[in-house]
Amino acid sequence: MKTPVTGPVGHVTRHLLTGALLKGAREDVRMVARGWRWGRRSMVPRSAEPYVLPKQVEPFPTAWARTPVAAAVRDGVQRFGLAPLLRAEVTPTVHGLDVLDRLDRPVVFVANHTSHLDTPLILCSLPDAWRRRTAVAAAADYFFDTWWRATGSAMVFNTFPIERRSGTLSSTPGELLDDGWNVVVFPEGTRSPDGWTHKFHHGAAFLALRHQVPVVPIGIRGSFAAMPRGRGWPVPGRPAVTVRFGEPLRPEVGQGPREFGGRIESGVARLLDEDATTWWEATRRAAAGSTPSSSGPDAAPWRRVWAQTAPPAVRSHRRVWG
Amino acid sequence: MSRPGFVLEVDDRTPPLVVHEGEGFRLESFPRGTRVVYPPEPLPSIRDVDGAIRRALLEPANSEPLPALLRAGMRLTIAFDDISIPLPPMAKPDIRQRILEQVLTMAAEAGVDDVEIISANALHRRLTAAELKDIVGERVFRSFFPQGALYNHDAEDAANMLHIGETDRGEVVEINRRAAESDLLVYVNVNLVAMDGGHKSVPIGLAGYRSLRHHHNSHTMVHSRSFMDHTKSAMHHSAWRMGRLLADHLKIFTIETTLDNNVFPSPYEFLQKREWEWGVRDQASMLAARRGLALAPKGMRHRLFQGIRAPYGLTGVNAGETEAVHELTVARVHQQQLVEVRGQSDVLVLGVPYVGPYNVNSTMNPILATCMGLGYFFNSYRGQPVVRRGGAVILYHPVEPDFHQLHHPSYVDFYEEVLSTSTDPAVIEAKFEEQYATDPWYVHLYRTSHAYHGVHPFYMWYWAAHAMDHVGDVVWVGADRRAVERMGFRAGSTLQDALEMVSGTVGRSPSITYLRNPPHLIADVR
Repeated sequence: MKTPVTGPVGHVTRHLLTGALLKGAREDVRMVARGWRWGRRSMVPRSAEPYVLPKQVEPFPTAWARTPVAAAVRDGVQRFGLAPLLRAEVTPTVHGLDVLDRLDRPVVFVANHTSHLDTPLILCSLPDAWRRRTAVAAAADYFFDTWWRATGSAMVFNTFPIERRSGTLSSTPGELLDDGWNVVVFPEGTRSPDGWTHKFHHGAAFLALRHQVPVVPIGIRGSFAAMPRGRGWPVPGRPAVTVRFGEPLRPEVGQGPREFGGRIESGVARLLDEDATTWWEATRRAAAGSTPSSSGPDAAPWRRVWAQTAPPAVRSHRRVWG
Repeated sequence: MSRPGFVLEVDDRTPPLVVHEGEGFRLESFPRGTRVVYPPEPLPSIRDVDGAIRRALLEPANSEPLPALLRAGMRLTIAFDDISIPLPPMAKPDIRQRILEQVLTMAAEAGVDDVEIISANALHRRLTAAELKDIVGERVFRSFFPQGALYNHDAEDAANMLHIGETDRGEVVEINRRAAESDLLVYVNVNLVAMDGGHKSVPIGLAGYRSLRHHHNSHTMVHSRSFMDHTKSAMHHSAWRMGRLLADHLKIFTIETTLDNNVFPSPYEFLQKREWEWGVRDQASMLAARRGLALAPKGMRHRLFQGIRAPYGLTGVNAGETEAVHELTVARVHQQQLVEVRGQSDVLVLGVPYVGPYNVNSTMNPILATCMGLGYFFNSYRGQPVVRRGGAVILYHPVEPDFHQLHHPSYVDFYEEVLSTSTDPAVIEAKFEEQYATDPWYVHLYRTSHAYHGVHPFYMWYWAAHAMDHVGDVVWVGADRRAVERMGFRAGSTLQDALEMVSGTVGRSPSITYLRNPPHLIADVR
């Protein structure tokens, strides 16, 4: 019988002969390949990821869209493309434009927001001279997420990006006002999911206060019924849509953004009330402080949507004479 | 720019992590959610080391410059920390050599003739001539060793120990006579961890059993929370009382140094890097090291590890009055080693490496492994222990019952005789300590051979007393079952086994913290 080899030599020999070396190496390599993700992107444990300061994203440049050439192109697109298309798809009615005759530019237009139709509706409602000098605040994360969407919206609607999440107000709208541009702001920050107005942010009020410009409230009815969230094109049948411009609101002495913002919100609510009823009734209710809330009834979501999907009754002078 | 230490939370992206286990290491996949405490990266080291030493000697803290303390005809003694620090030993030239050379140059310029250099080894083993030479350098060695002026402290040489007095708590202060009767004692320290230095240097390093027994006992150790924080350590409080008494009798000029945590030289640098940052080269080195270690016979593996010399950088050198210097030193050590950890956990995992203070060029026997894990690593905290009271500690080490016959003779008997009777530090202290401390054979070996003192294994066991008192369960992974059982612990094959074993104490889904040590770190538990 052979005596097993002991000592260091025996250790090494056994290790080699039994295949322990190869087996161990194979296991180790497999473990390392899995642990260190060979052939795949290496990853750092989440808790070991270096802290990175939030990237300061430069806003998409839109100044080019307000150059004379771009403005001329836009004018053509809006007059001969957008406006006819809009009138072909919906039946817009505009009221209260006379307030603009009594105003000097620039102003901040503030409207309720329920549809992608709202911006073209406002722009196409404005007199040409006003339209050419009006820019629209658009969500940076929605309209400016890709270069082609950003370029397109800046070109056609004269939009500029605005951060609706960070809480810091971009300097662009202020600079535009200082340069004599009117600015359209939808203070809800997003389209209403049910057609009723939601909480107004105070950015528009702050802007008007800061730059001492009047705010023109706009009430839009029917655009939710015509093209609500989720639709890419208006419903068939040229639904009626009304755009009503209200009396300009000017900040009073000592008024802060919060109070002024409240007045703007009431102004829009009153216009919606006026559109649904009459100027006289709306004025009386406003004086009595009983303007119905534009945020709608406290009812089941379907009822809120149901109420808003009914197209507004269009009151036309023709009916009187007809 | 070195990054600070931090606490990793293991997730699905975390690769297996290095766990040291004696003369080897393994890669462990920890359960998700395990916290892993990583030490800070090495601090920037001092480039002009000699210039920094010179400045420290000429502009000391709360003391006259060293040259002003030197004069012809005086009696000068220089003591230095022995081989137990730093760990692993430092690549040459040792920082103590560089300091000694400058101190001696100043002494020569002042015309000092009577100079003796003592290795402050207390009850540690005597250093061999080669080991002394490694620390002090060839020049110093050649100038002093043949004349008998460079030697190891002998705590059992009654004629050469001087009773200085007693503290207000009745603690006997007795140190080396030559040091005590000198006009100036210069102490050269290497402050590897926050426990070292200060009044722990002279009153302990140059003392004997009569003095050491006042703080090296189970009661003091249980009340040192932790001994890495001298402000909350009963052991240090005692040493500080002794040091202040000593300072009234003897002029001491303390020189303390701090090192960065560059402990692994090439090709072992990967052991120091954070695993997910390992490049291809690190992964290849690790694989090669794993296979090499598996193939290498035990003796070769031992030589390989014991041959590691750390490429430390110097991060600070301060000189002057002991307490003023130590304050600066501790701040620097904390800067290098402190890591903030939020809250305690149910389980503490520790990988015990191949070397501790008492097995440099030697063997880490089961008692030293326990001291290293439950003593040094467990106590490596500030505030409160990393593991909650009644929690569990899981340690990795082979815990082979191998003893170095030359260095650790009393350990063999401690293991066979004492631990088989009891593992309770207080019980064995009362029953056996005196007998081992005064045993003539152990004393003889300590004085003439290279053996640790007979009482030394007791001290190692006391180091772990706080941990044993604090935790409910101790399990060793990959350890020799009989050796672990002898010490009153349990052994498991894998981490999963160990967690299963401690589930009775900490439940099925305990919070786990792993101290990724070495390099050394102090968990600042808030």
